[in-house]
Amino acid sequence: MAIINQATKELQVKIVYYGPAMGGKTTNLVQVHDHVQTAQGNKGKLVSLATSSDRTLFFDFLPIEAMTIKGFKTKFQLYTVPGQVIYNTTRQLVLRGCDGIVFVADSQYEKMPENVESFQNMLDNLTSLKLNIADIPYVLQYNKRDLPNAAPVEYMEFLLNNREVQVPSFTATGHKCEGVFETLNMITRLLLHKFINQSQSHGAPQPA
Amino acid sequence: MATLPQLIEEDIQKLNEILKEFLSQTDATTALIIDKGGFLITHQGRSSEFDLTTIGALASGAFMANQTIAGLVNEPNFSSIHQQGENFSIFCCNVDEQVLMVIIFRCHVGVVKYFVATAIKKVAAQLEAARQRAPGEGIDLSVLNVANTEDVFRKKDQ
Repeated sequence: MAIINQATKELQVKIVYYGPAMGGKTTNLVQVHDHVQTAQGNKGKLVSLATSSDRTLFFDFLPIEAMTIKGFKTKFQLYTVPGQVIYNTTRQLVLRGCDGIVFVADSQYEKMPENVESFQNMLDNLTSLKLNIADIPYVLQYNKRDLPNAAPVEYMEFLLNNREVQVPSFTATGHKCEGVFETLNMITRLLLHKFINQSQSHGAPQPA
Repeated sequence: MATLPQLIEEDIQKLNEILKEFLSQTDATTALIIDKGGFLITHQGRSSEFDLTTIGALASGAFMANQTIAGLVNEPNFSSIHQQGENFSIFCCNVDEQVLMVIIFRCHVGVVKYFVATAIKKVAAQLEAARQRAPGEGIDLSVLNVANTEDVFRKKDQ
């Protein structure tokens, strides 16, 4: 879970991009890396452990420092998981200690079964780590909206966002960087709210 | 899953002292304390030439992958991994359920292995002390209560 370091007034947060294979998880990170506006030195290298065919083998990793929020350094670590079914053990490893999840769904009609299977796999893996989806902020991103065979958003909402509590969802065209930052800022918002609520429920005093 | 406790200045100071002592004993180059999710908690020693954030993320991934392999061969625990290189070697060992210690060194691995046993006990004890502390004794994160997060991450062309 997030590291809160009072000595350096620093909050470190781990966000995992989850979803079916070739759905655009790595593309999200690449776009963030290429387009984010940060102070010099606040953006780390994008590390990608991928196969020669551009499929993520272990994970992609992008450390990035957000603009300082009220004197607080907030460091984000963005990870992707490999989407291929066989890499489930790796997905469990990457999910460990995650604070928030972006589920990147592929909007193409024929990918709907994979979207649903991947979402269920995410729930199963969280359970295996003794985590509950109800406790972890997550958002949905319906990627590849520019493709002609994209399913209607309402249909994807019915398939993936039909739980008791509906979460924010965004349409995106990852390779054009459309919807990428909106998604990231929303998961950031949910995370900050969660930390604030936890902090207040613990009755933390004001720092000196 | 248990979580890492909030760390206050005193914790970080003590962890840094433990790492400094370890480095002086072993002549190792850099020592890091990371959590198993991949976060860098603190470090001592040379840091300018290394990307410690990324090293922390990859080291935790490699260690946890080895733990999984251990499970597959019915070994309950691989407590450490050692990667020997020509210029630098890396030793990564388990501290407790949440935390790992990573050492980058040029010296002999035997020295590192000998002194790390004491160091990880001290690190684990300090983390346990932080865990026992009242949960309210941390930062009030309500300072982060921003009404609009749209500007937290901005595109360059906006």
